[in-house]
Amino acid sequence: MKSETGKTLLVALILCIVCSVLVSGAAVSLRPMQQVNIKLDVKKNLLVAAGLIKSTAKREEIEAAYKNVKPLLVDLASGEVVEGDVENYNQKKAAKDPKQNIMIERSIDKGSIKMRAKIAKAYLIQEDGVTTMLVLPVHGKGLWSTMYGFLVLEPSTTIVKGIGYYAHGETPGLGGEIDNPSWKATWAGKKLLNDSFEPVLKVVKGTAKTDTEIDGLSGATLTSNGVSGTIQYWLGKDGFGPFLAKFREGGIQ
Amino acid sequence: MKALRGFLDSQHHHFAKGGKLEKFYPMYEMIDTFAYTPGEVSRGSVHVRDGIDLKRTMVTVAMALTFCLLMACYNTGLQANTALAAQGLTSLDGWRGSIMAALGLGFDPSNCVSNFVYGLLFFAPVFLVTNITGGFWEVVFATTRKHEINEGFLVTGLLFPLILPPSIPLWQVAVGISFGVVFGKEVFGGTGKNFLNPALTARAFLFFAYPGEISGDAVWTAVDGFTGATALGQAAIAGPAAITVSWMDAFLGFMPGSMGETSTLACLIGALVLVVSGIGSWRIMLSMTISGMLFALLLNTIGSTTNPMFALTPAWHFVLGGFAFGMVFMATDPVSGSMTFKGQFIYGTLIGFMVILVRVINPAFPEGVMLAILFSNCFAPLIDWFVVNGDIKRRAARIKA
Amino acid sequence: MSLKKVLFAPITENNPIALQILGICSALAVTTKLETAFVMCIAVTLVTAFSNFFVSLIRNHVPSSIRIIVMMTVIASLVIVTDQLLKAFVYDIAKSMSVYVGLIITNCIVMGRAEAYAMKNGPITSFIDGLGNGLGYSIVLIFVAFFRELFGSGKLLGFEVLPTVGNGGFYQTNGMALLAPSAFFLIGIFIWGLRTWKVDQVEKE
Repeated sequence: MKSETGKTLLVALILCIVCSVLVSGAAVSLRPMQQVNIKLDVKKNLLVAAGLIKSTAKREEIEAAYKNVKPLLVDLASGEVVEGDVENYNQKKAAKDPKQNIMIERSIDKGSIKMRAKIAKAYLIQEDGVTTMLVLPVHGKGLWSTMYGFLVLEPSTTIVKGIGYYAHGETPGLGGEIDNPSWKATWAGKKLLNDSFEPVLKVVKGTAKTDTEIDGLSGATLTSNGVSGTIQYWLGKDGFGPFLAKFREGGIQ
Repeated sequence: MKALRGFLDSQHHHFAKGGKLEKFYPMYEMIDTFAYTPGEVSRGSVHVRDGIDLKRTMVTVAMALTFCLLMACYNTGLQANTALAAQGLTSLDGWRGSIMAALGLGFDPSNCVSNFVYGLLFFAPVFLVTNITGGFWEVVFATTRKHEINEGFLVTGLLFPLILPPSIPLWQVAVGISFGVVFGKEVFGGTGKNFLNPALTARAFLFFAYPGEISGDAVWTAVDGFTGATALGQAAIAGPAAITVSWMDAFLGFMPGSMGETSTLACLIGALVLVVSGIGSWRIMLSMTISGMLFALLLNTIGSTTNPMFALTPAWHFVLGGFAFGMVFMATDPVSGSMTFKGQFIYGTLIGFMVILVRVINPAFPEGVMLAILFSNCFAPLIDWFVVNGDIKRRAARIKA
Repeated sequence: MSLKKVLFAPITENNPIALQILGICSALAVTTKLETAFVMCIAVTLVTAFSNFFVSLIRNHVPSSIRIIVMMTVIASLVIVTDQLLKAFVYDIAKSMSVYVGLIITNCIVMGRAEAYAMKNGPITSFIDGLGNGLGYSIVLIFVAFFRELFGSGKLLGFEVLPTVGNGGFYQTNGMALLAPSAFFLIGIFIWGLRTWKVDQVEKE
């Protein structure tokens, strides 16, 4: 009886050791490659939203195109660019960390995101040192899910150049149409901010009539409202507003 | 008539066992029994509980649907003409426009004939496509399974066009009814063996497959580019105050919506026919109404600052969307609903509750009748099982005592 | 049973999904695209084969009181390694498969074969049995994914086969095919077809 128990324990022990060595070995040795992949994925989403590469682009193309991208860390409250490790800053994690986030008051929380990081990423796309586009990561709640995307702006900051959502869980065929290329194409050239630089662009019901309106997604009013709310929040004074003001003054290059 | 009988008899040997068209016997039988009383009679002792058969049941349902059908045509035309008049259009391109012009009818919303005919031009193609496609599947399954063609499909074929928006593309009608007949009914063995209502299954398929053509606010009026939400859609966004039709119009059915479902009055007339003839269960209708209304009342009392649908009163819930139509013609489907009397009360209560739950609480769907009925269809056999087992236990206990 | 039979029987005669109705959940989750379905198939096939192999190797040394937990440990380790490999080499696909790679651990086919077959047979035949069951799983998944991607996005393996309305073509994508229930219908059709062909698989009433 005693030897039975002993054998059982022995088998369990050996198995555990073998398996844990195997698993941790794989995890440790593959980690650098995975890290590269994760970063590459972010870069790709950004470049696709900016219309610089196709979604099928290979790694080399992504890296090459990304050379023109200048990532910044922005203190949203002041709009100042802050020093820091841009490459490894995780905004999603920071948004949940009580030391690095702020709670958003319900009255101004148009994107229904409840909290956000104090420091946000922003990207300048430059050619020969001249900024040709600004890319701002935005997110907000749609009908079912939080929709993560990039909003691309002209250097004037008042005109949209493009939009791209890279993660969401909206209904295919309705809200999921935020991925529809022809809908996304309608964003280019729309007026984002009015003359006093307040966000005015909205997704309306039905067809857009002015250059501050985007066609509504048929049958997806709540997703459309979510997109509008996201824009209203992130481009407003509680979001990237101060940063954009600084940028227009020429303080950020 | 004699000539037809003679012709049918002369052709009979081709379709009989061993004949060269044996495979197509079901089709022969369908035409024969459609025109004449079947020649086969029962031999030996039979137990007749009621003189009603499937055919008579179906004909009664069709009769009950008369007013809904008339309203479907009239209201579809009325809504379209109203929208056209608002846009100032008096003539239209396309085949419908040509027919209307040929008949000398304009698009005048105050002209009853024009409304009716124009609506009919939308309803008829949907109806034809439904019945041709659905009939095709019936024949395919009847011939491969070597059974006679059932009349069961006729009711599905009547109901399905009535629960579609007027602007639905015809190919989607064909795809939808194919799915409904094959997956809602035939895979389970055909008429009488399905646990889901085939017409609703077909609609649910279209609802999830092509949501752009069956939900939202661009589909309810048969005018290109015209957007107008259903009353429920309006209420879902901005609360009951945003509803633009009057309660009476909603009750009579003069509002945008699926073709046959808008008129609560027409449905109630149908309900009368079904209840008096004993085909539709008044237990299901009554319990569905009571539970739906009570739950809506409860939500009214609770109230909500963020969800405007909480404020929609029971009276509105009753006349909007497909509540009445679903209650009278879908929930009472004798095959997919509960059979036991006690079970019918539970089943109806479940549907009423679910309708209001989906309408009010679910942010994505302003209408919940279809989903509520399909959901409850799944539970109907279980409800019956519990009711029957409960009865058995009670009786066993009584014998013991 | 010959090795050939061990390998091919699970595909039609004793299909883990179609006859035993095991491992359905991943068939719903990862089949919106053919590409992810392929990767999932390879992952499940390899995990089943190797877990069968290792379990069979140590089967005579495992006390039966802890055999389930031993099998779990073996399977879990293999799955984690697979997950890590996918994230390192095919990140895009691994991302769209999200938690479902990890959930191979709970796939009844893997555990079922280890318990029902590998505990009683030698390592080589167990390995082949694992491969066979993986293939049986794969054939259903690929069938489902083929139609879901074709109807749902008009594409196959990412290439546009039916030009969609959104891209200026004629094909209107079927949103239902992108939702999980469509996989149920397709598996149903698969089983329907299979049982029409092999009538003996129909359950007695």
